[in-house]
Amino acid sequence: MPDNDKLKIAVYTCYCGGNISDVVDCEKVAKAMGSQPDVVVSRTDMSLCSDAGQSQIEQDIRELGVNRVVIGSCAPTLHEVTFRNALIRAGLNPYLYQHVGLREQDSWVHSNDHAGATRKAMHLMKAGIAKARLLHPLEPIRLQAEKQALVIGGGVAGLRAALDIAQQGLRVVLVEKSPFVGGRMAQLEAVFPTHENARDLLRGLIKKVVNHPGIKIYTQAEVMGVAGYVGNYCAQVIQHSRGVTEENAEALLSACQQEVPDEFNYGLTRRKTIYRPYPGCYPPLPAVDWDNYQGEPISLNGGEPIVLEDVPTSVDVNVGAIVVATGFDPYEPRQGEYGYGELKEVVTLPQLIRHLALSKANHALEWNGHPVRDVAFIHCVGSREIEGVDEPHEDGRINNYCSRVCCTATLHTTEELRQHFPGLNIYDLYQDIRTYGRGHEDYYRDALLGGVRFVRYHGEEHPQVTAASAGDTHPVLIRVKDSLTYNEELEIPVDLVVLAVGMQPRQIDKLVNMLKVSRGTDRFLLEVHPKLRPVETAVNGVVLAGTAQGPMNIQESLSAASAAAAKVVALLGRGRVELQPFVAAVDAEKCNGTGACVEICEYEGAIAVQTFTENGKEVKRAVVTPANCSGCGACVAVCPNHAINVQGWTLSQYEAMVDAIASDIPNMAEVA
Amino acid sequence: MKDLKVDALVVGGGIAGMQAALDLGDQGFQVALVEREPSIGGKMITLSKVFPTLDCCSCITTPKMSAVAHHPNIKLLTYCEVESIQENEKGFAVATVQKPRYVDEATCTGCRLCEYACPITVPSSFDRGLGSYRAIRVPFSTAVPQIAVLDMDNCILCGKCEKACPVDAVVLSQQPEPFTIHATAIILATGFELNELGAKKEYGAAKLPNVIDPLMMERFLSPTGPYGRVLRPGDGMEPTTIAYVQCAGSRDKTLGIEYCSRVCCMYAIKQAMLISGALPMAEITIYYMDIRTFGKGYEQFYQNAKAMGVEFVRGKVASIHEDEKHNPIVKMELTEEGRIIERTHDLVVLSLGMIPAVSSSGFGLVPASDGFISVPAPNASPTVTERPGIFVTGTAGGPMDIVDSIVTAGSAASEASAYIRSKTMIAESQSEVAYA
Amino acid sequence: MPDIAQSPQPKILVLATLAGGYAGADSTGQSHLDYPANTYVLPVMCPVMFPPEFFVRAFERGIDGIIIMYSGTDSPYKVEADGTAKLINRTYQLMKERGIDIRRLRLAAICTVCVKPFLKEVNQMAELLKGIGFVKNELASRNASAQGAPA
Repeated sequence: MPDNDKLKIAVYTCYCGGNISDVVDCEKVAKAMGSQPDVVVSRTDMSLCSDAGQSQIEQDIRELGVNRVVIGSCAPTLHEVTFRNALIRAGLNPYLYQHVGLREQDSWVHSNDHAGATRKAMHLMKAGIAKARLLHPLEPIRLQAEKQALVIGGGVAGLRAALDIAQQGLRVVLVEKSPFVGGRMAQLEAVFPTHENARDLLRGLIKKVVNHPGIKIYTQAEVMGVAGYVGNYCAQVIQHSRGVTEENAEALLSACQQEVPDEFNYGLTRRKTIYRPYPGCYPPLPAVDWDNYQGEPISLNGGEPIVLEDVPTSVDVNVGAIVVATGFDPYEPRQGEYGYGELKEVVTLPQLIRHLALSKANHALEWNGHPVRDVAFIHCVGSREIEGVDEPHEDGRINNYCSRVCCTATLHTTEELRQHFPGLNIYDLYQDIRTYGRGHEDYYRDALLGGVRFVRYHGEEHPQVTAASAGDTHPVLIRVKDSLTYNEELEIPVDLVVLAVGMQPRQIDKLVNMLKVSRGTDRFLLEVHPKLRPVETAVNGVVLAGTAQGPMNIQESLSAASAAAAKVVALLGRGRVELQPFVAAVDAEKCNGTGACVEICEYEGAIAVQTFTENGKEVKRAVVTPANCSGCGACVAVCPNHAINVQGWTLSQYEAMVDAIASDIPNMAEVA
Repeated sequence: MKDLKVDALVVGGGIAGMQAALDLGDQGFQVALVEREPSIGGKMITLSKVFPTLDCCSCITTPKMSAVAHHPNIKLLTYCEVESIQENEKGFAVATVQKPRYVDEATCTGCRLCEYACPITVPSSFDRGLGSYRAIRVPFSTAVPQIAVLDMDNCILCGKCEKACPVDAVVLSQQPEPFTIHATAIILATGFELNELGAKKEYGAAKLPNVIDPLMMERFLSPTGPYGRVLRPGDGMEPTTIAYVQCAGSRDKTLGIEYCSRVCCMYAIKQAMLISGALPMAEITIYYMDIRTFGKGYEQFYQNAKAMGVEFVRGKVASIHEDEKHNPIVKMELTEEGRIIERTHDLVVLSLGMIPAVSSSGFGLVPASDGFISVPAPNASPTVTERPGIFVTGTAGGPMDIVDSIVTAGSAASEASAYIRSKTMIAESQSEVAYA
Repeated sequence: MPDIAQSPQPKILVLATLAGGYAGADSTGQSHLDYPANTYVLPVMCPVMFPPEFFVRAFERGIDGIIIMYSGTDSPYKVEADGTAKLINRTYQLMKERGIDIRRLRLAAICTVCVKPFLKEVNQMAELLKGIGFVKNELASRNASAQGAPA
């Protein structure tokens, strides 16, 4: 379509199934827009994103010769692409489309002011029409894409995502910060609901990942920087030394004397600074813990003492997409929270699971060398916190979310305890039991039938955990109001208190800033939309796998990882990606090569002044390299000749929109 | 006659099936999507708004329906029933039947003139019997495809639709048409049904007019619903006290359904919030045992509902009967106070649990103890069934919400694509051998 | 019946970045929280594209208050944080020269889930404008005093 063709604008005001029309008088808006210059048709629709609605748009383009489309509906993040595609199907350039948000930014926020909301809708639509008049056809920037993905995190989600991507013929670089893959899952024993051993399950997955020729694993490695864009990211990976070799590993391991708390057992045991976390880990070669190894000389078989050295190397990897699978940390209770850190009889559930694994052979449950006769579990520690009741954390926030897995994990553990230690008395202090998953309810039922004593507390009134008085039968006393027995105040003497701690996101501030991904109010990484794009972030080519996004169990992490892999394969499988054309463009007529744009631009290789010979004369002019241009528009503001603009977001379009908002709507008397 | 060969067959066109088909199609695989109803969209398209974002449900579903219909790699087959799945050396041969629409798919334009001409009114299953539609109709306003279907059980063969149709698309002589789909892999997305309203005899046995199921409430709340407002089906009155009975048909040994249906807490809270928007004066009570708002953003949603004034009462409802004005009376034990009370409401919604929509034995699979499709290794391959090459997504594999269904669809698509790729590679290497 | 097209309130224009304020405005909508309807949010990629003259022009056309809701240091554009701050300073300079109350232009960092800060900014600007009134009156009195001054 030549640009100089007569403008024919179609305008649609969507009811959004009542979401908009309950507040905004869509018919009045449509009528007012119908009388705007260049508008050839103005319609309303119950649901414009439906197939019928989209067909109407296509039909209008074909039959009425519409060459600009303006739609007022939900937020552009939801359906801008949907409607652009409708234009494509009707043979119109998709960038001749202008989206106006009438739901999130009008009907949903002015429900008490119907007249005001309707007036606002008219102005916003009028602004949309004003911009539409100045739209030009644009072509997406087409780039070659690396058929390789970067997976950050080597836990179960990262491993699974890597495998699924590689199985589709793409290459994968997996970067794990610690010296061993397997993540948090390796610290578990039997997993619900199948009672398989967690590390056996992991071993099967790791074997497939390791044996896949398309996957390269870096352990003790960190992503230090990411540059580029979807299809062409370049990640700088720092690889630390293993510190040992196949030849000297075992000798060094036995000679190493320095010990630190073992994070694999949540500090219950100590390990050396040269270590393997558990037998059968991958890679099998021990590694030096450089954070704790301080350069102490180690003597091997009475020989010369040697000092181990970390010589980090840097690798640049070119990838088309990035999977963030950085996982979670168990909530660390505050000093004194339910006696944690003050009473040695208060532990977390992950600690108890490690303790049980370490003391499997015992006939009785012991803690600190004392037999445990009575144990109490407290749910929702570090989860479901209430503003005004619970103390905020260091960053001023409270964990007001449910951690999803702790109820079943707790009841699963009580079942193991009942099986191994039949005489043990178990108390379960909860708010709501959330055994939602397949087979999970069985644990709840079995615990009820098996004699676990359930005590229900309210989130506004936490159980109190204190040291018992001297001479008491048990070291710890719990006071709690039980709403199952009509708010009776119970005193429960116990030998051990287990805190069912929730999940919280890892400290990944650096990575978040590097990738420019967003976090939700719960601080977990945020998806674009929980239903439309549940594993994608707002950054093109960066997807989420597993608990980096929010609490999940193993099964859910696996599903999320596979779903993320499917997105990566769909994106990179063809070896090319398309980018939005919203980059700077120079008006050759106006540009005389002042270079102000080049001076202000902060993007490497995005713009340069070049010399051309035209009609025998040398002329200087700025030239943009679209793939390197971010579209920030810094150049637009400084050009003395108004010769540069961001395509699709030009200054004159904004001026037209401002004028539309500032001015009154003509012919309104007749319409209203 | 219309046999076809594809990489993957997806059975079921609800949200999970649509997403699985899209994820496979986007990866370049050829997909057939079979749906037994005349339109895709599943249960989701009948909902009003969805938790926790309160997005208009149709705004999330219809674009996916549209994307499926327009996808170059997806062949959409509606009003078709899968009869059996046979395995052969090339994969699966799936015997399928195209049910007669009595309307020619190729010529119908969805203009609805037949519908306007039809003299027969029947209760609308789309509106769960609350509204009505004609014996010949486009299934619902946002249906995909927009093709009319004639309900022969209710048709009186008056011929008015035939005369009204401007393109002569009504074909009363249509017969069921069997055909075969050859597929390398199959994804089952056959979804769920709500347990029956009368399943629990103590809760009125479906005989109380003002005790309804939650999908009926969705239709009351939906802008495309039959009334466009919330009312009592018994007499059309606007209810002022509304109660939800949680776990009505889940976590209940007497019904043989011991599992949690996962979504009922959230849909009850969501409906309570929507009702308080529609009927600001209404008092809404939710009777529950445990509130299970475990998903991302769900706990805050629950707290918001409490702050809005929705009343949450912990207790087990023993029975429901009614007074002479058909007001339901809920008899329950208040577990926090240890006494038994009776409360009268204008309208009661039973938060019914999910049961499988089809038996998996039809696909040559042994159902799990909960009746849903069995997944032998959930902690290794959460969407892989016992039969190699057959995968499961969404509520066909047990209760789950829309978010989780969509994620498992991606997972099933990944598993299926790896399977297809491995099969095709074997086939290619074998044909090379044969060639040599 | 009152003509609903005639705006009785001063107009607030919000230039909101897609990565920050615009998403924050959408989040506010998803929370169904009310704010004055005379607020118009336009999406921008990054505010550094606007020259100071753009804002002055907008005031002269009848926009009574402008809030730039940017992403600050969280922006995907490295120029955004510093560049926008500089832009604001240059614009304030120009506004002073033209006799426009500089409180009519504000800069705020708004993130994608900054619902409360979004509401605070909008409500503050609405309150301010109730006090200082329409920009056209301000410009008219400026012109009047300019004309009244001896040549």
